[in-house]
Amino acid sequence: MTADATPALVEDKHTAAGPRVRKSSAYPRYLASKVAGAAVSLLAVLVTSFFLFRLIPGDPVKTMTGGRQVSAEQLAAYREEFGLDLPLWRQFTDYCGKALTGDFGTSYQFRAPVADKITEALPNTLLLTGTAFVLYTALGIFLGTRSAWRRGGLGDRINTGLALTLYSIPSFWLGLLLIIVLAVGVGPVPGMFPTGGMESGGEEGFAYVLDVAHHLVLPVVTLVAVEYGQTLLVTRSALLDEMGSDYLTTARAKGLRDDLVRRRHAVPNALLPTVTLIFINLGRTVAGVILVETVFSWPGLGGLFYQALSVPDLPLVQGLFFVFAAAVIVMNTLADLVYPLLDPRVAR
Amino acid sequence: MTTTTGTGTSPRALARQRRRASVARFWRQYRAERAGLYGLAALALCALLALFAPLFVGSDVSSVTTAPGRPMQSPSAEFPLGTDQFGRDLLGLVVWGSRVSLLVGLLAAVLSVAIGTLIGVTAGHFKGWYATVMMRVTDWFLVMPTLVLAIALATVMSRSMTTTVVAIGVTTWPTTARLVRAQTLAVETRPYIERAKALGGGHWHIMSRHVLPNVMPLVLAQTTLIISTAILAEATLAFLGLGDPTVVSWGGLLQDAREAGAVSAGDWWYLVPPGIAIAVVALAFTLCGRAVESVLNPRLGVSR
Amino acid sequence: MGTKDQTRSLPRGLRLVAMAGAAALTLTAGLATPLDPAPRQARAADDGKKVLTVAVAQSVDSLSPFLAVRLLSTSIHRLMYEYLTNYDPKDNHAIAGLATKWEPSPDKLTWTYTIRSNSKWSDGKQATAEDAAWTFNKMMTDSGAATANGSYVGNFRKVTAPSPTKLVIELKKPQATMTALDVPIVPKHVWEKVSDFSEFNNDKSFPVVGNGPFVLTGYKADSYVRLKANKSFWRGSPKFDELVFRYYKDQDAAVSALRKGEVSFVAGSPSLTPAQAASLEGAENIKVNDAPGRRFYALATNPGAKAKNGRKFGDGHPSLLDQRVRNALFKAVDRKAVIDKVFQGHAVEGEGYIPPRFSQYFWKPSSDRKLTYDPAEAARMLDQAGYKKNGDGKRVGKDGKPITYRVLCHATDPNDKAVGKYLQEWWGELGIGVQLNCLDNVTDPWLAGKYDLAFDGWSVNPDPDFVLSIHTCGALPATPEETGATDNFICDKKYDELYARQLTEYDPAKRADIVKQMESRLYDLGYMNVMAYPNAVEAYRTDQIESITTMPAKAGNIYGQDGYWSWWSAVPAESSGSSDNASSTGVVAGIVGGVVVLAGLGVFAAMRRRSTAEDRE
Repeated sequence: MTADATPALVEDKHTAAGPRVRKSSAYPRYLASKVAGAAVSLLAVLVTSFFLFRLIPGDPVKTMTGGRQVSAEQLAAYREEFGLDLPLWRQFTDYCGKALTGDFGTSYQFRAPVADKITEALPNTLLLTGTAFVLYTALGIFLGTRSAWRRGGLGDRINTGLALTLYSIPSFWLGLLLIIVLAVGVGPVPGMFPTGGMESGGEEGFAYVLDVAHHLVLPVVTLVAVEYGQTLLVTRSALLDEMGSDYLTTARAKGLRDDLVRRRHAVPNALLPTVTLIFINLGRTVAGVILVETVFSWPGLGGLFYQALSVPDLPLVQGLFFVFAAAVIVMNTLADLVYPLLDPRVAR
Repeated sequence: MTTTTGTGTSPRALARQRRRASVARFWRQYRAERAGLYGLAALALCALLALFAPLFVGSDVSSVTTAPGRPMQSPSAEFPLGTDQFGRDLLGLVVWGSRVSLLVGLLAAVLSVAIGTLIGVTAGHFKGWYATVMMRVTDWFLVMPTLVLAIALATVMSRSMTTTVVAIGVTTWPTTARLVRAQTLAVETRPYIERAKALGGGHWHIMSRHVLPNVMPLVLAQTTLIISTAILAEATLAFLGLGDPTVVSWGGLLQDAREAGAVSAGDWWYLVPPGIAIAVVALAFTLCGRAVESVLNPRLGVSR
Repeated sequence: MGTKDQTRSLPRGLRLVAMAGAAALTLTAGLATPLDPAPRQARAADDGKKVLTVAVAQSVDSLSPFLAVRLLSTSIHRLMYEYLTNYDPKDNHAIAGLATKWEPSPDKLTWTYTIRSNSKWSDGKQATAEDAAWTFNKMMTDSGAATANGSYVGNFRKVTAPSPTKLVIELKKPQATMTALDVPIVPKHVWEKVSDFSEFNNDKSFPVVGNGPFVLTGYKADSYVRLKANKSFWRGSPKFDELVFRYYKDQDAAVSALRKGEVSFVAGSPSLTPAQAASLEGAENIKVNDAPGRRFYALATNPGAKAKNGRKFGDGHPSLLDQRVRNALFKAVDRKAVIDKVFQGHAVEGEGYIPPRFSQYFWKPSSDRKLTYDPAEAARMLDQAGYKKNGDGKRVGKDGKPITYRVLCHATDPNDKAVGKYLQEWWGELGIGVQLNCLDNVTDPWLAGKYDLAFDGWSVNPDPDFVLSIHTCGALPATPEETGATDNFICDKKYDELYARQLTEYDPAKRADIVKQMESRLYDLGYMNVMAYPNAVEAYRTDQIESITTMPAKAGNIYGQDGYWSWWSAVPAESSGSSDNASSTGVVAGIVGGVVVLAGLGVFAAMRRRSTAEDRE
């Protein structure tokens, strides 16, 4: 997350101005081109996921058997079972063909379909990122708008300063500190939260919901702290940008009250780049929680990916990589599609 | 970035003079950015510390066989930040680690920006299929989850500083490429480029003499911002155990601390300083980058 | 700002955002309030159930006994299913499990086991010899079922159950491990419905029918594994009502959880770090079990990898084929520093191959033959061997190039990395470069022989046959493409002769003597240099666990035993109530904290609102 946050911060000011669709009749064509583009990207990701991890040196079958004694026949049997005896191009076409139907093969280490392992961990990741996403987006927009309105004031300076600082903190480090202070307890501060995991196990019904919520607090706080700054800054600068616009001057000249001008005109328009950012974030965070999941032992996709890479469990790695990239592509495309619908400047 | 049409002095002297004037103007405007100045000051301090680290601490600070203290000592007069699990002085290690962290951050950012600039300028200059292909590649890299890709690359290659630099550089360039391409397209529509072309200037001449100087300010801002990303990314990779275990870096120190069990033992002095160092440097670079950006493009109104 | 007004004027997209904000607020409220109404660590107090919670990090590879190979999964199978035999917790000799008696025929090719008649499956059916025969036959006929434990039945000719209490195994040739068949016996009536053994993971329907001391009642990947006591277990019911393995991927999180009482036991993988042990030793109600380990921690040298068919492969450094070089390198390794600095006392200095815990087989070199730490002597030995320093102070190989050894290290093992740093400096003094090659998965370069030295370690069983066998020529892979049982390609005639002799020696004392000769030979060869015998450092809460059986009973470990003794024997502590108090303070503090955060947000919002209000005319 920290690793890929800044490029977006820089980029959004330039690209988040978003695609402009001038005529409403052009929308279906626009839609078709975006969807086609996304499809091409997804295919490209599929290809990469197959070849990139083939670069990891070594024989997957020997890795799979973990150095135990295996005869040539057994090795051959494994190769056949996992389709590794086929020529590379056949493996590739098989992989692509099956992947299109959602079948990413069988995990080497878990002996279970990759799709099952992913659907098992996906809800956990979504719970964590979803909660954090809603919170940091809301917080970012809220504080960003405030900051822009009171531009240059003490509140703004504190706000942006804090956002930039938290934004520069490595999320895993913040997570560790939170564990020390709020989960383990330091001095008079008692350990109030679980040190890791998603549930205690064995709780049912409402108790289970509370238990999971209790486990959610620290990872969510960590994610929100390092992520909200970006939304804040983008919202703020978009709003400042908008506030200098001619139509606002016109609106003011019409005699509209200042705050009404802001609320009715400036904020809705300025939030448009933020909407794009929201979608991009939504895609990014799925892959971005690897660190937080690692620190908090959260049983999600990030932990699974890391574990699969260290084996390396090729089918699982490929499947997860595809899911991570696909999330970004789908969300970016959605942003592209939704944007013209939201932009009031587009006549519909 | 404005074209002057003065006569009298030689074109070269004129160019030099113009450049000097724009640098002076830039500095004047930059000075007005208070946050940027703080960032710059912090950076200067860190850079000095890293450069002159051999004078204060010496390379034997990272030696395990001649470690002066006992393992995991808490802060004392002798060791202001305590010791690590080998009994090495943590203050010395944090100072020494700045060298690797800054170097990796710098190199990775340079690599990233170099790739981005190369692709951006060429894709903006040459139109047609080359640009289409390059921009598709860029878009494709852009949708790749950066951290996932970097982890994958670091796993595929052997663990070394070069790997870290490459993994970060190769995954963070696309934004630069896009920005630079847009700028290149804008620059190339200007009349003097037409003139240069008419006078027989080749592709190389146009790109290196006219386009590049004009995208340089953008590249500079971009580099500053990416360094901060790169330093965080270096720490992240090291923390995930994908860095070179034999060099001392801030991320590596955090990873060591975690592996040694400093978190549950409550040895905060092992954990807090490297993290603060990372945050301070990353923040300083971000502040500088934003200041540079807002000087170059005041309409953004980033920080003021 | 008037929320109502704003909402009405918002375009559709913004309304979504507003809704998200509302949802977030609700969530915040939801998060701040729950703070654990039912303190789980004090469960003994609230519903009378006594729960033993164990922190684990390793993922379950499979819950099918036919597929599982990882330590955690196989340990769980020990708890779920009874094996034919078990190991005595005191001295590890084979004792009754599902079988009460066993007897080889005079030609040692037919083994007859008497199956107990007082073991019932948890669904009420009787466990019989038929179940055992079916289990073994399945593994012999279905390659999917042979995945994990196929090696045990590779030598079986035929397995039959002439009566419910009689199991007969016929062998192709004599096999020494017939009283150590670590194969979970599964209920035939449940498992014969499985169609594909290579894909069935036994983790879909609970409780899972078994006859061990515990019954598996729930599993969620990387969250928990839950078992309940089998009250009708033939050896007697476990004292705890439930056993839960809970996941902490981060060892520090596990240790913190122990300190807070969230879990009763932490083992660490492979053990707690010195800093963790030190911090726990002073903690209240926590006992650190620092037991002499069964592992050795060694520096293995690539002796030039080759296969049984004589083909050489890999690229080990040729200078390492010289015994003087190997011994010189080891003489420059300060084992005492490894113990003091890296293990910080939680290990014993390495000598022979087998750890001192197995006293009958423990051997150490006499003082005159011991490769004591002596860098100066090491430098002299290297000079003598013809590896002299060049102008830059680097030793050069026979090819004239400076020597740099690639040392294979496990990226997940902090000890490897730490010792690696020392090696760099010790051998750097000798003029030899060290390139530490830390990988998550060392298997590949290892099996391909593409390394010079490697960090190596094995857990030694009570019977040392296995760890001795992996250094024989017979263990080499048949061809370079296959994987052999060999550890690091050692093949030495003299060692092999001794190995063959100890196999046929039935007098324990004489056999032990031969084993010691083998260790001596191994020591001199210098291909396996044992640096340390790391302790098993574990910790548990004394206010939750009153007592627990270690293995061996005297100064032994708890986690990863060869039987189910630790968890079966653990006695719950009388609920002291102290952890109860601690947790309710936690709840109160948590609620207070949540309220403060919410109040802060409220105040903040109010202030912002007021300041905007001031703006208006």
